[in-house]
Amino acid sequence: MSRWFLQLRLLLRSLFRGGQVQQDLDLEMQYHLERQIEEGLTSGLSAEEARYAALRALGAITQNKEACRDMRRVNWIEDLLQDLRHGARRLRNNPVFTVVAVLALALGIGANTAMFSVAYGILLRPLPYPGSDRVAVVFMRFFPRDFAFGTLCIRDYLMWKDNNHAFENPSLFRTLRMDIGGDEGVPEQVQGASVTAGFFPTLEVRPLIGRTFAPGEDKPATRSLAVLGESVWRRRFGASSTVLGKTILVNGAPSTVIGVMPGVFRFPRRDTEVWTNLPLNPPTRYGPWFYRGVGRLKPGVTLEQAQAEVNNIGLRMMQQNPYYKRLTLPVLQLREALLGTTLKPAILVLAGAVGLVLLIAVVNVANLMLARATVREREMALRLSLGAGRGRLVRQLLTESVLLAVLGGAVGLALAWGGIELIRVWNPGELPMIDSVRLDWSALGFMVLVSMLTGILFGLAPALHSVRTDLNATIKEGGRSGATSRTHGRTRSALVVSEIALSLLLLVGAGLLLRSFANLRRVTGGFSAEPKHILTMLISPANRKYTDARAGLAFYDEVLRRTRAVRGVEAADVSDSLPPDRQGDADTFQIEGQPLAPGELNPIISEPGVGPDFFRALGIPLIKGRFFDQHDTPDSRPVAIVSEGFVHRFFVNQEPLGQRIKQSGPGYGDKWMDIVGVVGNVKYLGLTVDTDPALYIPFAQSYGPLMFLVVRSSGDAAELAPALRQNIQSIDPGVTLAQIATMEQALDLSVSQPRFDTMLLSLFAGMALLLAAVGIYGLIAYSVAQRTHEIGVRMALGAAQADVVRMVVRQGASMAVAGIVLGLGGAFLLTRLLKAMLFGIGVADALTFVTAPLIIMLVVLAATFVPALRATRISPVVALRYE
Amino acid sequence: MSKPTFLLQGTLDLLILTILALEPMHGWAIAHRIRQMSKDALQVGQSALYPALHKLEQQGWIKAEWKASDNNRRAKYYALTRAGRKALTKEAVQWERLSAAVSLIVRTT
Repeated sequence: MSRWFLQLRLLLRSLFRGGQVQQDLDLEMQYHLERQIEEGLTSGLSAEEARYAALRALGAITQNKEACRDMRRVNWIEDLLQDLRHGARRLRNNPVFTVVAVLALALGIGANTAMFSVAYGILLRPLPYPGSDRVAVVFMRFFPRDFAFGTLCIRDYLMWKDNNHAFENPSLFRTLRMDIGGDEGVPEQVQGASVTAGFFPTLEVRPLIGRTFAPGEDKPATRSLAVLGESVWRRRFGASSTVLGKTILVNGAPSTVIGVMPGVFRFPRRDTEVWTNLPLNPPTRYGPWFYRGVGRLKPGVTLEQAQAEVNNIGLRMMQQNPYYKRLTLPVLQLREALLGTTLKPAILVLAGAVGLVLLIAVVNVANLMLARATVREREMALRLSLGAGRGRLVRQLLTESVLLAVLGGAVGLALAWGGIELIRVWNPGELPMIDSVRLDWSALGFMVLVSMLTGILFGLAPALHSVRTDLNATIKEGGRSGATSRTHGRTRSALVVSEIALSLLLLVGAGLLLRSFANLRRVTGGFSAEPKHILTMLISPANRKYTDARAGLAFYDEVLRRTRAVRGVEAADVSDSLPPDRQGDADTFQIEGQPLAPGELNPIISEPGVGPDFFRALGIPLIKGRFFDQHDTPDSRPVAIVSEGFVHRFFVNQEPLGQRIKQSGPGYGDKWMDIVGVVGNVKYLGLTVDTDPALYIPFAQSYGPLMFLVVRSSGDAAELAPALRQNIQSIDPGVTLAQIATMEQALDLSVSQPRFDTMLLSLFAGMALLLAAVGIYGLIAYSVAQRTHEIGVRMALGAAQADVVRMVVRQGASMAVAGIVLGLGGAFLLTRLLKAMLFGIGVADALTFVTAPLIIMLVVLAATFVPALRATRISPVVALRYE
Repeated sequence: MSKPTFLLQGTLDLLILTILALEPMHGWAIAHRIRQMSKDALQVGQSALYPALHKLEQQGWIKAEWKASDNNRRAKYYALTRAGRKALTKEAVQWERLSAAVSLIVRTT
């Protein structure tokens, strides 16, 4: 025990009190020497003789001391410290090199650390639900609905539950807007979810206070219960525990608060704030398809087994209900279900792209190091010939490069922090799990690891080059670069060529996304009104009296009357659907006189319920017939309007006006409607969806309480919001308004993910281009400096300035051409990964594949031109004086 | 002076430990004592002695202390630690065994 302590103390003393140890050693040797001299004196030698004898006996004192130090086993640590000091000194002495290298590395490492945090937070960080990899969400896809990840109805759920063996607690949930109100404050509209009793146990998150739904609290005729989210609990109830047992109004129904969930619980949506119990009343018919299933796999059951079982249940659903065609029940792991299908490939592409940026930075710094290595050739050769070990020298050079990389990493960390904060605050891609994107220990660890690796990566080649020097040649050459420098030169050119190729790859990728995004922005939603002049909001008349159509229509008449009276309002009406991506009602339909084969169905299409002025407010063109008007009332003849796309698809060579049509989903009656008009195509399923036929039905003949108000103003529509809100709430203070936004904001939001992808990839390509430009500039400038003598001779022999410029530029241009050829080859192979992210162009877009190399060529020429001009200013006299 | 006899690896450690078992001593005295006790047969060079001392100290078998020497100058005195005493016993036994074995072979051939 005490022995280890003793040893540790000695080790620490050697490390941190090195001076003291050194002094002790000196004194010890000194003492020995003196005693030796004394002995000589006593044996009768003269003072001088004794001294020489003693020194002879003592031998090489320095080596002796070194041997003692070796015995103390701290040399490698001391070497490291010495290397670090040496490295730091060298970096300080070359501030330009250091700053350029650190910035290049910081850019690369910082961007990678930020991207790592995004990718880790979204794709890897454990969800706040224990064992969430065992939790799966069940969707349903069937024709005629045909949503890839669509929803079930309660009958489907019951069938799943009754035949289930794979899941612990098969549960059902739906998301919906909820009005909450009570004596605690003014009513408000929040995102809510209605869930069965197994929902919370499946996700295994404990409430902050109170409890969640107990088994059986989803039976028919259970009293209404509510679990609140932490945010709404703090906002409306001051985080008071007296909320438990309180009765609040949820969508007008008195509900008892039984618990509060912690803020990390964000399922099914990021913004869900209230959960109510879903009473499983025995369904009288199929539909409505509002629900998704969720369950935890039983121990030992794999996702594949669960999927297989669910597939069988799906087959039975089809047998029981001929309305279902081609039915499948996709089962997705919780994370996959939250991510959606497009985000993961996009993040992987971006992570790959940012990796290339780092690679370019590494190549750049390796190049700078190589240039320096050439300068240090003689130093290294000298040290080698004096007996320094090659391993020792390589270690020293690597220490230096790792030090550089860690410096770059540290600066990069600051960049990454800024970048992540920006992404978090702004969330340009509407990333679903943005809360778990943060700079933390995992990111820090990633940064350190990447820094070390890059340091070794870019340091190794120059270090090995340095010690492989032919000693004789280098020392004899007397400072002029010779054979080894030529191999350096080749290596450096190869590095720059690869830099150009990688940049081109990124540039082509960014170009494709930019072009695709421009296409996306050119797509209009099908309306001509200026998006900035359109204001929309979701109105929910919470009071239950408005579920009655007559009361509701009267309420909305009043809303519209007051809205139209506001100054600046040009047109206003209501609709349950909005472009570009808020589809409201959707159903299949039947056209009179177009009999369908037995079992055949028309597809489900958008069937917006709209007020007469909806078309005018948005600027949707009338192709023929008429719009709805005030004569289309609940009591008049049922009418409908179809879109142009609808006519092209379902009335081929037929006059649509005057035809009769009806909604034909289960649960609709036999209400035939006269088609009175045809309007232009409008997108309700997102800008990227191609054909979207629509069947419009007058609001007055298809009343529902939850409606969008659409207002067109003469100026900036956002300014109207306060006046409109005040107007509407003065009719009934219980009415809640939500999603107040201009159409411009809605359009922006609908392309947020492509914008995120495009922006990041363009940013990365820009960084790559900058780094490549710096790289090629450095190489050319260096080679001009090295060829000063040669250029001087040429000019003395009569070369014109233009010849010199041409010579230097040709060097850069040839590297650019080589890089472009390589890069284009790589781009043809790799841009396939972008296919799913592109809109309106193919991966082999000619414009991109021509423009990107041109940009690269221009940048390379610009980077070459400066050193080329400098070369022309070389004075032959000065250049030759060096001889 | 006769040529210094070749010292077997590890033998020097044993000699140092044996001598320090008598009393704490500084480096020069140790060298002196070895020469004296071996009747000038063994001469330990400084280049071997001091690294060995520092190694033994690092191993925790001996510890060092600065003390006034017999002629009133400060010298670095080495003394055996408890671990060193244990090591000495073990090494001595091993040495006996080794030397006996070597003598056996040398004498019979």
